[in-house]
Amino acid sequence: MMSEPAKIIWLASFPKSGNTWFRILLANLAAGEAGPSDINDLYEQGGSACNRWEFESLTMLDSALLSYDEIDCLRPLVYEAMTAEAVGQRWVKVHDAYTITPSGEPLFGRGLSCAAVYVVRDPRDVAVSLAFHHSTTLDAAVRLVNSPDGVYCESRDGQDRQLRQRLAGWSGHVTSWLDQTEVPVHVVRYEDLLAAPARHFAAALKFAARPATEAEIERAVRFADFAELQRQENEKGFMERISRTTPFFRSGRAEGWREMLSAEQVAAIERCNGAVMARLGYGLETTCRRTA
Amino acid sequence: MSSAVFKRSPMYHYFISGLHVSSELELRGAIPREPRGETDDVSIRRGSVPLALDGATATGPTWDLAGDIFLLRVPRLIRFRIEAGRDIVFETEPGFADCDAAGFVLGTAFGILLHQRGSLVLHGSAVAKDGRSIAICGYSGAGKSTLAAALCGDGCSFVADDICVVGLDGRQRPMILPDGRHLKLWKESIDHLGLAERRGRAVRESFAKYYVDPPDPHAQPSPLSAVYVLREARPSLKEGVERLSLPDAMRTLDHEAYRPRFRAKLQPRPQTMAHVAAVLSRAKVFRLVRPRGFEHLQDTVAAVQAHWDSLG
Repeated sequence: MMSEPAKIIWLASFPKSGNTWFRILLANLAAGEAGPSDINDLYEQGGSACNRWEFESLTMLDSALLSYDEIDCLRPLVYEAMTAEAVGQRWVKVHDAYTITPSGEPLFGRGLSCAAVYVVRDPRDVAVSLAFHHSTTLDAAVRLVNSPDGVYCESRDGQDRQLRQRLAGWSGHVTSWLDQTEVPVHVVRYEDLLAAPARHFAAALKFAARPATEAEIERAVRFADFAELQRQENEKGFMERISRTTPFFRSGRAEGWREMLSAEQVAAIERCNGAVMARLGYGLETTCRRTA
Repeated sequence: MSSAVFKRSPMYHYFISGLHVSSELELRGAIPREPRGETDDVSIRRGSVPLALDGATATGPTWDLAGDIFLLRVPRLIRFRIEAGRDIVFETEPGFADCDAAGFVLGTAFGILLHQRGSLVLHGSAVAKDGRSIAICGYSGAGKSTLAAALCGDGCSFVADDICVVGLDGRQRPMILPDGRHLKLWKESIDHLGLAERRGRAVRESFAKYYVDPPDPHAQPSPLSAVYVLREARPSLKEGVERLSLPDAMRTLDHEAYRPRFRAKLQPRPQTMAHVAAVLSRAKVFRLVRPRGFEHLQDTVAAVQAHWDSLG
């Protein structure tokens, strides 16, 4: 637990690892008895580190006139300004790996009042979830999970609404956050959060020095129950959904990959990520897999 | 004679957002004008620009503000000192080409200067037809310029892109001032709209965003009928055009201002609100929710045209 509450908590994760669910838990904690919180009101809760509008608003610059690297060089300054402006504690969604900018600064700045809650999920489930979310093939999703050069929102001929984010592949992403020494990190395994949400949500809040009673946490967990999220999405849609055919809150289960990935896809993920998977307690299938 | 006379840069002349501008820097992206015989409203020149302002009352990641002086730093590229809505002094870093500087001058530097003059500056594009205009606002990358270009391909004339100044005429009617600039479009929009022949230079060397010569630029201020704020349709946000209530419209114009943080720091609130109120007494503000993607662009053009016509 931190002595002084950090001004910014980076809620960091590889995409499709439970970041949104965690933000919904936070939103419901903030909503208190007024919950369940509206799943389409999450932006108001803390925003995202790759928000182009906020980057331009703080720097006054037109991001279309800057290269991806030039933008990255400015991001530590932007986060410094965000930290200075933060009223109370702000939890900010991050999908970037923790990288060093071309000018040699940590992307998330140096010496700021920040901490990170890092949500990690089995990369095999991440791949399945990515494929549904982006309506791509499972092979393409596996490639993104495995690619050290993987990025989000990089476009050669146009501009995405978000800033470019380096993902660095699942292993690269995990180790970039866990092994850096600038920002204190608390790790939450998605699977643990699923199995005992109140306990693991409470531990993350305690780390962030975010006060909450047991009853408040239990109520937030109840309001953020998967069935409730599916009910809301079914009723009024969800703004973060991209796919036209598949709901954002699709399955939410652990080990769903067993029914979806081929033996080759599992092997490819484990070959690229096995060491870090073992470090995070994800058992490998490749060595004990029965051949189909 | 001093040698300075012989070294003086040639001057370029423009008419931007209602202001006569003389510039030592050729502003690719602005439409050149003949010089006029009197003093210009705005001067843009090369000079020495400090790294920071002494006595700054507000600072940001890339800027300092001290009274009516604003200092903008684009690390490793260029710095600006913008003063009193009249002077822009720039200093480029070694290796940064002049031709790449124009985008920063015409964008942030000029936008800040317009705010210093007390103008209502929206981050948006504008087109006109039948003597009236509409502004299209939205976040960066929302498709404002692309929609404006598509409307120009459907009978409208081009008024402004990116920076859209809403002035008031003698009868307090809101008027959009032509920005005297070219459109700026990403390659994918140029390709889709078939504008390759009108494509000019890239906004920066090796970038895939280009100046595009507008086919029918509108030269005169034109009364503002409506502001459309672009939003992307999502399962939670249905397609359509919805008029915003007066409080929502006021908040929206504030939010859709060009660099709203700067405006908030510079102008006293009552003045801003009075200007916005005058605009809203004549012009309506709508939220335009439409699906993203070029395949839907012509449907959006038709929807905007029909809605605009229905305003009478």
